[in-house]
Amino acid sequence: MDRHFIMTMAALLLLVLAAAAVSLLWGQMDIPADNVLRTVLEDIGLADYEPGAVPADQRAVIEYIRLPRTIVGLMVGAGLAISGAVLQGIFMNPLADPSIIGVSSGASVGAIIAIACGLTAANILALPICALIGALLAVSLAVFLSRQHGRVSVLPLLLAGLVVGIFLSALTAAVLTVLEEHKLQQYLFWTIGGLDYRTWDHVSLGIGPMLVGVTGMLLMARQLNVLSLGDVQARSVGMPAERYRLVLLGLATLTTATGVCISGNIGFVGLVVPHAMRFVVGPDHRRLLPVSLLAGAAFVVLCDAVGRVIVPGQEIRVGIMTAFVGTPYFLWLLRRAQRRGMF
Amino acid sequence: MDEERKPALSLYDLQVGYGSHKVLGRVRADFYPGEVVGIIGPNGAGKSTLLKSICGLLPLQGGAVGLAGQRLTHIKPQLFARQAAYLPQTADISFSFTALEIVLTGRYPYLKWWQQESAADIALARACMRYTGVEDMADVPLREMSGGQCQRVLLARALAQQTRLLLLDEPMTGLDIVYQEQIFRLTAELARVGRTLLVVVHDLPLAARFCTRLLLVARGRIMADGTPSEVLTEPLLTAAYGVPLCVTVNPVNGHRDIYTPEPDRDVAGSRAHQALLEAVLRDDERTRYGGGSGAWIDIS
Repeated sequence: MDRHFIMTMAALLLLVLAAAAVSLLWGQMDIPADNVLRTVLEDIGLADYEPGAVPADQRAVIEYIRLPRTIVGLMVGAGLAISGAVLQGIFMNPLADPSIIGVSSGASVGAIIAIACGLTAANILALPICALIGALLAVSLAVFLSRQHGRVSVLPLLLAGLVVGIFLSALTAAVLTVLEEHKLQQYLFWTIGGLDYRTWDHVSLGIGPMLVGVTGMLLMARQLNVLSLGDVQARSVGMPAERYRLVLLGLATLTTATGVCISGNIGFVGLVVPHAMRFVVGPDHRRLLPVSLLAGAAFVVLCDAVGRVIVPGQEIRVGIMTAFVGTPYFLWLLRRAQRRGMF
Repeated sequence: MDEERKPALSLYDLQVGYGSHKVLGRVRADFYPGEVVGIIGPNGAGKSTLLKSICGLLPLQGGAVGLAGQRLTHIKPQLFARQAAYLPQTADISFSFTALEIVLTGRYPYLKWWQQESAADIALARACMRYTGVEDMADVPLREMSGGQCQRVLLARALAQQTRLLLLDEPMTGLDIVYQEQIFRLTAELARVGRTLLVVVHDLPLAARFCTRLLLVARGRIMADGTPSEVLTEPLLTAAYGVPLCVTVNPVNGHRDIYTPEPDRDVAGSRAHQALLEAVLRDDERTRYGGGSGAWIDIS
């Protein structure tokens, strides 16, 4: 491990901690920093203060609103960014992002069905679970459609993902046209990804699949390097490229789908963060994946925190914030690539 | 059987192609250590298809491949990659991986899934790059390299696989004469130390100079298999390429000159050709600058 990589990781780790601190401090209620610190230290068992040191309402806001919100933000940001890096590697395309294989449109169909059937009123987790199932089914369908002689190649998979995505969007639109007003609003609220009203239930729903997905992807970073050189290069050194591609695709889908389900569609993270990090540490996925993980977590939590305070008395949802930050960055990237004659 | 004379690679009645399309049939040959085998033939004859089929990138339509005298029924791709390295014709690398990172992927066949490359692997990769003359470019992204540098990096990657058999698909494409000959010298040297090389070549005079054996692929089969002087004959080449080909040997250095003669047309043929040329070059109002004034640039 070289010095540059270690320094980058250390800097990003500090950034993640700073983002989390800001996220716990900022909000509608003014809570002094020492009260935030006391609550957190006490919760993780590092300190013990006499009862009443922190007012009960402040403690409740920290424990039941800001902490789960921050943790969901960290999880989703990390998951989306690392999955984006993996998908870009699998598809050998720096413009691939988690929406490309039908994850988001699949999740949308799941969400709209949950809303239309009124399941959301029964259980707060009904919507994320339906969205997760929808996303996984959509990607499975794309893989199934692109299979040929038991093999899945890059281009057919990309096209199948696109077609499945368009079809499912049409399906969502069809359901939307017959939906009642308040359900429409509920759906709209979900599509603009947000971290408000996240509870510990969301954390516990997401943590398992996220851990499986992220750990798997980190472990297979070297294989992903070989895979991202292209099918022929990978198979000429004896790699069963199709199998590895499917496994990595499965892990990235699971992670992205979980992220989309517990926080709605948060765009640009999976596209922009790996892209930016490639400029910092290069394309080697053994460095790119852990760095993207941290950068994604910090990016989402920071966007969410800024969105809470940028307009007084109002809250701008994180999905909107990431797009506001992501679009100019992406346009700048595009101009740069054009100037360098890459298009 | 003498260990030295055991074939490194055997092709048993191989039939190759894409899907239901058959490209080559009845390919039978044994290749021995120390041979540089040039695979020659017209475009689309199936030279690359043959190499890809041998190393398992394309499923065989019939027959079998043998390694070290043993007929293979099934071999794990990772184990095969320890025996044979394949250098693909084109390398389209999507990300800016550096030369060293690319060469290190040649160690893939030797690593368990949880292992990372060791210091020994890195030292070997660097040695391979030094051998092909690109060590000083270890940290340069492959994308920023010229065709010649790129090919030498990919050759180093194939060498890093440390295989007895090297299958090179047009390694000289796009290289200037110096690099072409340099790569051929490297292949000849590798053969001398007991490696077996199969090289797809388009440049017949170069193939004649550096290959110990030539395989002429055309018309859906192996048309000839022998030493360069046995294969590079006018009748064989003319039959394979479908146009008259001349072979002359330079009396000074023994190198061959292989070329197509000037087309021999009768009067009617010449006239027809002239008419074609005029049709191509037909001049009219739109092709002239300055609204047909005849001047190339009308500055008035």
